[in-house]
Amino acid sequence: MASFDSINYSLRPSKSVQRGIVFHGLKALSDAMALQNSLYIGFGSIWFTDFVMAHKALEIDEMISIEANDVGFRRAEFNKVYRSISVVEGRSEDKLPELLNQGEYQARPWIVWLDYDGALDEEKVEEMRWLLLNAPPNSIVLFTFSATQNAYGKPAQRPGRVADILGPVVPDELSREDCNQENLPQTLASLTMDFLSSVVADNARPGGFIRSFKIPYFDSVGMVTVGGVLPALGTAPAARAVIADHKWQGIVDEMIQAPPMTLKEVATLQAELPCLEDLTRARVQELGFDLLEHQIRSFQRYYKYLPNFAEIVS
Amino acid sequence: MIPGDKSKASANPTKAFFVRMITRDITLEDCIFDLIDNSIDGAWELAGGRPMSLADDTDLSAYKISIEIKPDRFSIHDNCGGISLDDAANYAFTFGRKDDAETENFSIGVYGIGMKRAVFKIGSKIGIKSTFTDNGGLMSFRVPVDVNAWLAAGDDNWDFDIEGADNLAAPGVQIDVTDLNEAAAQSFESPRFIQDLRRAIARDYALHLHRGLTIEVEGKSINGWAIELRQGGEFSPMRASFEENIEGEKVYVEVLAGMEAIPPEDSDPDGDWDEDQNRSGWYVVCNGRIVLAADKTTLTGWGTENWPIWHPQYTGFMGLIIFSSRRADLLPLTTTKRSVDATSQLYRRYRPNMREPSKAWIAYTNARRQRERGEVVGQEQEAKSVPIYEVAAQPAVVLPQVATKKRVPEANVLYSVPKPRLLKLATAMGNIRMPYKEVGLQSFEYAYADLVGED
Repeated sequence: MASFDSINYSLRPSKSVQRGIVFHGLKALSDAMALQNSLYIGFGSIWFTDFVMAHKALEIDEMISIEANDVGFRRAEFNKVYRSISVVEGRSEDKLPELLNQGEYQARPWIVWLDYDGALDEEKVEEMRWLLLNAPPNSIVLFTFSATQNAYGKPAQRPGRVADILGPVVPDELSREDCNQENLPQTLASLTMDFLSSVVADNARPGGFIRSFKIPYFDSVGMVTVGGVLPALGTAPAARAVIADHKWQGIVDEMIQAPPMTLKEVATLQAELPCLEDLTRARVQELGFDLLEHQIRSFQRYYKYLPNFAEIVS
Repeated sequence: MIPGDKSKASANPTKAFFVRMITRDITLEDCIFDLIDNSIDGAWELAGGRPMSLADDTDLSAYKISIEIKPDRFSIHDNCGGISLDDAANYAFTFGRKDDAETENFSIGVYGIGMKRAVFKIGSKIGIKSTFTDNGGLMSFRVPVDVNAWLAAGDDNWDFDIEGADNLAAPGVQIDVTDLNEAAAQSFESPRFIQDLRRAIARDYALHLHRGLTIEVEGKSINGWAIELRQGGEFSPMRASFEENIEGEKVYVEVLAGMEAIPPEDSDPDGDWDEDQNRSGWYVVCNGRIVLAADKTTLTGWGTENWPIWHPQYTGFMGLIIFSSRRADLLPLTTTKRSVDATSQLYRRYRPNMREPSKAWIAYTNARRQRERGEVVGQEQEAKSVPIYEVAAQPAVVLPQVATKKRVPEANVLYSVPKPRLLKLATAMGNIRMPYKEVGLQSFEYAYADLVGED
């Protein structure tokens, strides 16, 4: 089932945080690397949430959305939010090489976010490899995929399955525990990042690969976003400086699990922030409700990126 | 008449040749192995320096080699005794081994080129520090090498300066390389390179790691390969020892061969066949170091002298030929220590000893194909894996006599399906990693039971 048939995924709170972190980071990189002339490529679906942010936050005009499903293609054409968005019908593995063959797109940086619906597999890895080796200099690539454990086989098969997909970067001693429900998103995030770095280093791409985004998050299923910069030789120091800055948030160590909260809860907690100390569970209870520790941590860290949802009953 | 000043053709080497050319024919991984070899030679000498036969139980657990690999820096550090000042001044930095150099006991290093070639390959700012025992006390020195400055100083003076230094924590050597060459820097940024390096160390130094040596890469100790052959039922590996006398020096040779894994059901490799993952083939070991692993080429006889070329049908066979000698130069290893010198007389003399177990295995797998599917597997499963160190002496490999028997004619079914669909079916059958062939067979049985019913 295509994602547009299941849920408006702009409404998932952790997804909103992930998107907020990504675009906050892209903005900093775009400013440092002067990427306003980039081409934004993604899977806009029928909602185009990331395209709106690319246009507003990054000031990118020209955007391309790839849509494989024929009904989805018609709906995307109908729903596209700016006239500068082109919706192309087909699979990204075919469409990306076609785009590269168009002279006008060859000489400009690409910001590509392949926000896949499903689990990581050999096809996606092959597409990642192609993009890493062919994207124009100064491009930024991002990949999102599901890290739900059952998509990677039964517990005993999972370490082997991960090695089948990602190849020699996977340590021989990868354990079942590394691949259980709790750890699999982090494991996949780290190993996929290793894969991306290795492809670029092993093929001696000038400028290399700068690890920039590693975001495991959870909204009912575990998801992972990884990505980085493919700088031109001359731009690499500026891009590295952005990532090395202590303010850089793109590398997330703890899985983002933003809790679904009511407007009243959000407003109450937000009134306590920002503060230097950690918000405690006791304080939340004093305020009149309750959340788990990791939910409180996620809220405090990412409240700026959390959406406010309200159902309008008419 | 030849003018006096033209009567000699200059044949002096240039530094640039050594820096640029000798580093071309070796991989970065093999350069790091050269540095590990030097450390191991120190440890082996301290531990007694004797032939490294499988029966030898020298304890190397006191010795540790630590390797750090960063995008801008490489270092290797050991506690294996260090280089003495005399050796540093007279031998260790010479390009090539001097004739009067003392031969280390059963060392792996032989050509006197490894360390220099390795550090030149990695980078251009090099610091080599050694702490060694001298008259009961500790003494230390360092040799800083700035390759660009050394090259710029011309070809008349090839020496490196030796300076005083603080002691390391224990007698040993520490080598730091910065200002990395571009190719090294790129490789060091690749997690794949580091994982593959770990795998190669686990395999090629398996015999040293088995004796307790610690090798760490990025702070993580490496577990050596468990090299095992199957024994039991009608299977018994061969293990034979020989002794040669070459130039007045003893050379010890040991040959082991047999079944390391149950062979594949038939000879047709599946679509998911991965030859690189396959441990089968011949291994050549020189003074403890595996210099050729899982070889299936003419180097170890396959496809030569009426010996068939390797075929996946032969999977499951493993052979090891282990050479050791006080003088490593008598052993059939190449300068990169990543292959055998196929022209070596010693090696050629022992090829027939490798040929016999290979032939026996080929004959066994040929006969095995004539039997009903699965009939021989039970016999093979009776044979259990045994570490090579525990294999008993036996002059020839023992394999079951498989009587050929007429079998029901078989039909091979061959078809292709999109891989994602196959993976979904394998998942539904309970194992996402089920071999393609097994998915096909189970699908056939499922359809047969549904559409045909019982035979």
